[in-house]
Amino acid sequence: MLPNKTSLAPPGIAGELPAQRLRTTRPSAAALSVLALAAGLYLILPLVLERHAVDLLVFCGLYAIAGAGVGFLLGQGGIVNLGQAAFYGIGGYASAYCSARLGWPTPAGIAIGIALSLAIAALIGRPILRLSGYFLALATLALGIICTNIYFEADFITGGTLGVPGVPKLAIGGFVFDTPEKFYYLVWPIAFATILAMHNLMGSRVGLALQAMRDAPDAAMVMAIDNARLKLWIFMLSSGLGALSGSLFAHYVGFVNVDSFGVDKSIMFLLVPVIGGASVPAGAIIGALFIGLVPELLSALGDIHRVLFGLALVASVVFFPDGLWGLGRSLTGLVRRRSGAAARGETTP
Amino acid sequence: MTQSVSRRALLAVPALVLALAGTGAVVEAAEPIRIGAILSTTGPGAGAGIPQRNGLQLAVKLVNEKGGINGRQVQLIMEDDGSSPDVAVTKANNLIFSQKVQAIIGPTLTASTLAVGGVADPGKIPVMAFTGLGVAMEKTRRCVFHMLPSQDLNARALLEVATKGLGAKKLGVLHDSAYGNIVMTKIREVSPDYPVEIVAVEKWEVGATDATTQAAKVKAASPDAVAVIGNSATPFRNARQIRMTMPLLSGIGTATYEYVKAMGDAADNIVFAEFLVAEDPLPGQSAFVEAFHKEYGVLPKTMEASAWDAFNAVAAGLAKVGPEAQPGALCEAIRGPFDGAMARFDFSQEDLTGLTLKSYVFSKLDKGKFVRLPFKAGS
Repeated sequence: MLPNKTSLAPPGIAGELPAQRLRTTRPSAAALSVLALAAGLYLILPLVLERHAVDLLVFCGLYAIAGAGVGFLLGQGGIVNLGQAAFYGIGGYASAYCSARLGWPTPAGIAIGIALSLAIAALIGRPILRLSGYFLALATLALGIICTNIYFEADFITGGTLGVPGVPKLAIGGFVFDTPEKFYYLVWPIAFATILAMHNLMGSRVGLALQAMRDAPDAAMVMAIDNARLKLWIFMLSSGLGALSGSLFAHYVGFVNVDSFGVDKSIMFLLVPVIGGASVPAGAIIGALFIGLVPELLSALGDIHRVLFGLALVASVVFFPDGLWGLGRSLTGLVRRRSGAAARGETTP
Repeated sequence: MTQSVSRRALLAVPALVLALAGTGAVVEAAEPIRIGAILSTTGPGAGAGIPQRNGLQLAVKLVNEKGGINGRQVQLIMEDDGSSPDVAVTKANNLIFSQKVQAIIGPTLTASTLAVGGVADPGKIPVMAFTGLGVAMEKTRRCVFHMLPSQDLNARALLEVATKGLGAKKLGVLHDSAYGNIVMTKIREVSPDYPVEIVAVEKWEVGATDATTQAAKVKAASPDAVAVIGNSATPFRNARQIRMTMPLLSGIGTATYEYVKAMGDAADNIVFAEFLVAEDPLPGQSAFVEAFHKEYGVLPKTMEASAWDAFNAVAAGLAKVGPEAQPGALCEAIRGPFDGAMARFDFSQEDLTGLTLKSYVFSKLDKGKFVRLPFKAGS
């Protein structure tokens, strides 16, 4: 993992204090019960919701996986990635081509998609991650546009405008994930595991190095943190998640086409952490639910729904700059302070 | 206390049962037949999706005014896929499994059709798509029907009118990178059957704001006619700006009043292979044109007519088998000939549409006005 160079960092100053804070923060009983409630809710939702709603939740899960990658780049690396749909497409097409055209087993397509994405991210990441700020964002945008054009033109693989139909459903053993309900129980655990892993990564030495790199790149370099390599790693992590999400998408819908991998999808993946909150990986869940469900709720209002969705996006960014997760945290903080004050018998003026 | 409550409860049970039975019976008698629609009324496909919605809503309205299907009213559940196949799948799941529709009218776009077919076909819910047959694999689908010709047929119709109608020996093609690309592939495949040489092929990217360079290259090959295939008015304007005076040819997508407006002065000497010239309709089309004009005050084109036909084909099938038929029975009922306003269909044909070269109507834009040509293809 990280080169031993980081051990040169003076222990106890940049290295261990936040890590200890992370490790020693034990979840409170209230937090645990909320978590248990959420888990229970997660498990029974498909049993009570109608199929259409479960279907939307599956898409939310897919967005959460790809969006978590973008969110990690944004929140931990300070990198705006506007090209995630490129990797989402690589995953989607790899799965579709390998399983529908070549008849290979589904894990092969998924693995090839992820491997290809990692390789491309490693190749392209080196030069473009030397940029920063707007220039880096534009470079990722260009990557997305180039890939969309390739998907259009390389129709011997991608089927061009017509796409690749007949992608088989995922199956593990004899169990086929052929309904939204079954897929729901596949895609969300992957999303949860991804987010948990990211959370753990943030508390690790790599996570601390990332923080240092994001907040004070020069200081980080002085402490012998290899900024370029770190950026490349999280870029590859993000691209791999994009490909995984794309593969799952292809097997879920059974059809891939260039319309699913355009720049609009990249913007959507960036919106997931922006709406949900990029400071914690779990923000991607909130963001994905927003992106997946709100347009559907608004579509009942007729053709104006796109305008309304745009307004909802603007409103959420203006009023909740830390994302909906940040809003939730400040609300719970407020409640805690109030209840703490009440417990001490104080009155609020 | 407890006793009286339980006695009251006991009395309430039969009352409740009666009440439920009563409402049940009432609801059943009035229960409408639910038909779903997935159209692209926003996004890049809206140019086709909105006219389709108009044609569809009129068809439903008139059927309901005449007493519905077998005495039951039709409830149309309209969904917009925003021109995205992902959204179309979600909408199809909603319509089929939550709304329990009998059939789906749409989608507007080829990709959405392929995606929705994957959900609807196993569920034996008929899909009346406003696209031509996309890929060969669709022929295995038993419940997906196409309201528009396959790209193979569109390519042949263009070559027919170019060679036999206009007498062109050298043909140039300007096409876009999406829909136009598919038609171009087919033109290459079928052009050996026609006495014509393809002298120049140039492509513009979807969404491009200028295609002058491509038009100039085609002009340099001095073709007798130029096919312009894609969903944009820009190349038509560009072609005329650089003084390309030969006839231009195009397809259904651009044969609309909106495109004519967008073409401006360029909307002249353009020949379309389409299906409806409302200014001069065929005998089987006048009733629809009149009804449409009465409702909306404007004239319809092919898209409006195809949506009208899609609904009426489903209505005819439902009238035959009844709304309570077994899954798949409605697909079987639709799979056969249907005389529509757009053309005569035969959904039992291999391409799931049954349109032939003879179905086409050719028109020519003469200073911004559509004029039906006497030319018939396939003879």
